[in-house]
Amino acid sequence: MTTTTPGTAQSTRAITVAWLILSAITVMSWWLAPGHAGGHTTASIPITVAAILLGFIKGRMIIRYFMEVRSAPRWLRRSTDLWLVVLWTSILVIYLW
Amino acid sequence: MTETTEAKPRPTTGLPTANHLPGDGAIWVMVLGDLIIFGSYFLIFMVHRTMAPQEFLEAQQHLNLTIGVLNTLVLLTSSWFVARSVAAARGGDHAAAVRLTYFGGACGMLFLGLKAYEWWREATQGFSLGGSPSEEFFNFYYMLTGVHLFHVSLGLLIMGIVVRELRRPRRRIGHSNPLRPRMSMIESGATYWHMVDLLWVVIFGLLYVMR
Repeated sequence: MTTTTPGTAQSTRAITVAWLILSAITVMSWWLAPGHAGGHTTASIPITVAAILLGFIKGRMIIRYFMEVRSAPRWLRRSTDLWLVVLWTSILVIYLW
Repeated sequence: MTETTEAKPRPTTGLPTANHLPGDGAIWVMVLGDLIIFGSYFLIFMVHRTMAPQEFLEAQQHLNLTIGVLNTLVLLTSSWFVARSVAAARGGDHAAAVRLTYFGGACGMLFLGLKAYEWWREATQGFSLGGSPSEEFFNFYYMLTGVHLFHVSLGLLIMGIVVRELRRPRRRIGHSNPLRPRMSMIESGATYWHMVDLLWVVIFGLLYVMR
């Protein structure tokens, strides 16, 4: 791993931790999802709510750590958070309709 | 991959400074606009899904979940490389930045390959476009993944431009510091690529995971 300065190392570490958590959540989703061969699947509100929550968390981690929005000006932090909240809340509301 | 740091003249770090806009304003107008457009597609999908939940759920089970998960991991890994590339470029290590961008691009190509295989598989099993509720799921599937795939291709092109910028930092004349590639351009390319990743995560959640 390239460590040019302590700052680079620190930044790279945060990015790598985010990537590990995102990958772990993705593998967990594989276990939640209905597409496994053979079984017949019924609708499940708890699993869908879990998928929505995990989707929100993943999106926010990508925005904050990969897109570096956590150190961006406040208008950008606010508008990306607004997008995430409106999107995932609307998805949940339409699903439960 | 270890390189000595003594020769590096600048004390810059890989950390962005506080209140720093990554990339230029134009890329963010584009990214936020794209997020709103895709957001509308996602909500339209949800409305149609709610009107025929059982049909959508049954159609959904014909997707290959393993390929969906693999594609998500590949795109997340690609973003990981690209994000580290930005940190390396900021720290002055342009060779590492180029290398990491290539790794990111290779993951992007792998995503395209997996998606092509998945489409071929769905299409040859007879899941095509049509008007019935279960066919409607596949209308959305092909439309959402298709528009997303176009963004992946555009992202790969943009990464090519970023590599070009990183590889010839010393030839630029008339720039404020001709020894450095323009960070704002590298950050803009990375921002676009992470948006492609972000949109895929939503598509994965809606098409593959929720029930």
